[in-house]
Amino acid sequence: MNRPADQPEPNPLREGLSARAVPQPCAIVIFGATGDLTHRKLVPALYNLAADGDLPPAVTIVGFARRPKNDDEFRHDLEESTRKFSRQPVRDEIWKNFAQSIFYHRSEFEDEAGYKTLAKRLDEIDKTHGTRGNRLFYFAASPNEFEPILKHLKAAGLNQTCEGSWARVIVEKPFGTDLASAEELNRIIHNSFSEAQTYRIDHFLGKETAQNILVLRFANAIFAPIWNTHYVDQVQITAAETLGVENRAGYYENAGALRDMVQNHLLQLLCLVAMEPPTDLSADSIRDEKVKVVRSLRHWSRNEIAANVVRAQYTKGAINGEPVVGYRQEKNVNPDSKTDTFVALRLFIDNWRWADVPIYLRVGKRLPKSATEISIHFKKPPAVLFNKDLRDVNVLVIRIQPDEGISLRIHAKVPGTSFRIEPVKMDFHYGTSFGKPSPEAYERLLLDAMSGDATLFARRDEVEEAWAFIDPIEEAWHAKKDAPELYFYPAGSWGPEAADDLLARDGHTWRRL
Amino acid sequence: MPAIADTNSLGFPVKLSQIDQELKKLWQESEGTATRASLVNLAVYSEDADALNKNTQLMARITESHACRAIVIEADCKASENRVEAWINAHCHVSSVGSKQVCSEQISFRLKGGCTTLLPSIVFSHLDSDLPFYLWWQEELREPMDSQLWAWVDRVIYDSRGWKDFRAQMRLLESAEQEAKQRIVLCDLNWTRLDSFRLALAQFFDHPASHHNLAKINGVRIDFAPGFRSTAVLFAGWLAAQLNWQNEKGEIANKVRFVNSSGGKIDIELRERAGEPIGEVAVETPQVEFLVTHANCGDLLEVSRGKPGEKRMPQLMPAGKNDPVSLMSEELMRGGPHHVYLHAVERVRDLL
Repeated sequence: MNRPADQPEPNPLREGLSARAVPQPCAIVIFGATGDLTHRKLVPALYNLAADGDLPPAVTIVGFARRPKNDDEFRHDLEESTRKFSRQPVRDEIWKNFAQSIFYHRSEFEDEAGYKTLAKRLDEIDKTHGTRGNRLFYFAASPNEFEPILKHLKAAGLNQTCEGSWARVIVEKPFGTDLASAEELNRIIHNSFSEAQTYRIDHFLGKETAQNILVLRFANAIFAPIWNTHYVDQVQITAAETLGVENRAGYYENAGALRDMVQNHLLQLLCLVAMEPPTDLSADSIRDEKVKVVRSLRHWSRNEIAANVVRAQYTKGAINGEPVVGYRQEKNVNPDSKTDTFVALRLFIDNWRWADVPIYLRVGKRLPKSATEISIHFKKPPAVLFNKDLRDVNVLVIRIQPDEGISLRIHAKVPGTSFRIEPVKMDFHYGTSFGKPSPEAYERLLLDAMSGDATLFARRDEVEEAWAFIDPIEEAWHAKKDAPELYFYPAGSWGPEAADDLLARDGHTWRRL
Repeated sequence: MPAIADTNSLGFPVKLSQIDQELKKLWQESEGTATRASLVNLAVYSEDADALNKNTQLMARITESHACRAIVIEADCKASENRVEAWINAHCHVSSVGSKQVCSEQISFRLKGGCTTLLPSIVFSHLDSDLPFYLWWQEELREPMDSQLWAWVDRVIYDSRGWKDFRAQMRLLESAEQEAKQRIVLCDLNWTRLDSFRLALAQFFDHPASHHNLAKINGVRIDFAPGFRSTAVLFAGWLAAQLNWQNEKGEIANKVRFVNSSGGKIDIELRERAGEPIGEVAVETPQVEFLVTHANCGDLLEVSRGKPGEKRMPQLMPAGKNDPVSLMSEELMRGGPHHVYLHAVERVRDLL
């Protein structure tokens, strides 16, 4: 959002042309270049940036992977997948030009020699393509490959740059599986790259609506006075998806919904909703405030975990009228699996602003619809005038996906001679008001990393604090004795009854999505 | 969708006093199948015959990406009869991110004779409240400027390419701006036309290691199509303003000379060539040439740098389009003041 302090004076010819930090020429080296992420997200995102004129011409992509392939074969594969997954149709002439900057570097991740030849190749590319010694290393490989990659990058001197150039590393989640492994991962990364060079990507933060939370809160004075315990009754964040585990069973069996979604995406959204105003829009000012929210989350004893967290797993059911199997019947899933595919949490942020405001998070697979939404439920007005319980009327909803937008529910008088009051909704849809479709989250985040803007990336302390909150829950679930119950819910339902009970004891219900 | 299906027509004729009621009816008839959207009030004023139809067609396309309340005005100040006619319509499009019908209202007016002086009151009565007011003025400006009208305008959009006397027109706009206490942002589509070339040239100098080249520029060549000399001069003004070059008085054989802060001379050659409004820009230093030119495929720019005669590796960037819809869309996407434009104008005012 802001120009980083370590960046030099801006280009005078850029004035008035772009309201964002300018991405620099660089070579983007993707580890795990033959994988899904590269084909479905990264290269289509880079192509779209190029087609929109947002990518500096001197950007090259170097795919680093094990499979034998040459540049042309790699380009051909990427062209095919980009045509399939790009948000805009691929134009032949743009692709042809774009593809000239794509290269393939075959090497085992453990092969030291492969990194030395990579270094040489990048030097050549600097000369031929004007990438100026800038390197962006994207880790799209499995986390257990990170250590050898980082070690060899360092040995080949690729973590160092000459004056005026930079080297950065983008790390995809999961950032560890618990606090200890996250700390270990951070230690491994920091052996080769400093925190300022490290960009931990959480694609939820690249979504337009997630970014708009800060604008909504801090560019509209009307919300500031009511955004606290005096006026807010409860907050709900839901991330629901109709999909099951698909082909991710190998990963998901060990992760589960809490690690896969809550530790990162949902807590990041919660931070944006609950944080104090930052002193400015620099990356660290914003992240300083976000991490305070995670630090203020109330930690529970083991007994309290059972009362405040509900875990569940889907059984067979139907989605959109189509029968689907239960989680334990999915391919590559242990038939006795206790992996959580649904989690509901009742949280409290123990700080001045949010004291005693319950925050409910829920995330689940095989729910009736796919939607990620945040709702702020305001307190009810005194019931002295209208002789009606006006509970849960004023609700501000921030829709993260799909149909991004914001709505506010208020009470209105139904026309007529009687004094009938009904809720009505004021609704803002991005798609309706702004004809231009939002860029994909990866487009924004890649551009930010090239510009040196880490605002939308998670910092080390944010990640570690989040694990410190999550770990006791996982430990309780995996305890040999008195582990909290694993509930079951039929696919296509909104989760187990226990999740409803979690709110019912506060007199609340989940918002109907 | 509202009952009026032909988005390119003027729609229903309505009485001036009935416009609000008729608009309301239009939405009632849609029975909730369409969503009315509006981010700005966009009024367009023209004195051309048939301007209503022409501008209605433009609005139909502009509203595809910019939901607004469109107010289309055709004025015939010289007509002997004194008459106002009005129509209402809606431009409906399927939203780019879903299957919703998103509609923008259009109110059209034909003013004849003395009633053209009623323009401000007609416009003010039909603004969508709380939304900014953009006025697209397709005519030459005339004295006296109606201070009542201009005081309400947030952004005035015009195309200086068609102006016969740039300095006189600019003076009128600047006086309107002063009277409106700087509220108005001046948006010149002739400047918008330069966006893609400015962006393509600017990117050469993004890396700090390239900045030194800016001080070494000793020559610039700008190719422009017939009728687009003012566009090329604005481009020269932009370079001069941003790089702090001063104009040396006098223009010799299509060349403008500037002096940089170290006293170095920079000749800007303006060459008329058939083709795109700006066909090619070459910026030269003693060591390297930075070239932006149209690619063979038309809507792309080819950018390259290198020593003369050296093999280059051109890259492609979007070229932007020169049609009024594209220019307006580009302009409506932007916000904020146009200081850079005003600085550019200042450097070349005498040449325009």
